[in-house]
Amino acid sequence: MVIYILCFALLLVGIYGVLTKRDLIKIILSLGIMGYAVNLMFILFAYRSGATYAILVKGKAVAEMVDPLPQALILTSIVIELGTTAMLVALALRLFEKYKTFDITKIRRLSG
Amino acid sequence: MRQSEGMTLIVKTVTRISVWLIILYGIYIILHGHLSPGGGFAGGVIIALAFLNVMLAYGRNFITRWVNIGFLHDIESSSAAIFLAIGILGISVGGGFLANFISHGKLFNLLSSGTIPLFNIVIGAKVSMGLFIVVWTLAIFHLLDKGEKK
Repeated sequence: MVIYILCFALLLVGIYGVLTKRDLIKIILSLGIMGYAVNLMFILFAYRSGATYAILVKGKAVAEMVDPLPQALILTSIVIELGTTAMLVALALRLFEKYKTFDITKIRRLSG
Repeated sequence: MRQSEGMTLIVKTVTRISVWLIILYGIYIILHGHLSPGGGFAGGVIIALAFLNVMLAYGRNFITRWVNIGFLHDIESSSAAIFLAIGILGISVGGGFLANFISHGKLFNLLSSGTIPLFNIVIGAKVSMGLFIVVWTLAIFHLLDKGEKK
């Protein structure tokens, strides 16, 4: 149970960063931390104590395996996270070109 | 010694030796995707990181001269079409989309498990070139914009 609470604490670290930081790059990093927390949660759900990985290897006896479905889902999730991060960085670069700062309190003028 | 761009000579020399080993390791991970942990995505990321290593050590202007970015973009785009073509071949020959239509081979052999190694190779090309081009585009972002204004 304690590992799930720690996982949730990691999610809270990400939320804290998104809510309190002013630097756009730090906000993007915090979003990444939130994503990692969710991924870790899924992998922990699939874990079984004493089980092996779900890959057939020569010489390995067939035994109880961890659930491979969340691992396949999380691989997709990581790819989507990569795409989202790349898009956020591109948007941040565009904002930097226009305002010459990453500080969100200084990015105020909506027109011009 | 001319040091116009990029990192120091030590980093450049180490990169020159290690980048081929990293690419080789990525190809190994892709080709053994159906036998061991790893596969198309993991190996593709390793190959992309090898290219990024060169870009970090030598500077972004060198990488544009070293590799033909247009060709890499062609590989990245055509691999999706090849994936689709193999999947549709599965409909016509095997009975369903992405169905296996070639011999399964012997278990634990390198040439086994039907079309899965082909898909691994295609996904590896797609992921490696896509990931590298994304970061390369972010690196030359302002250079592109200056070119437009001229």
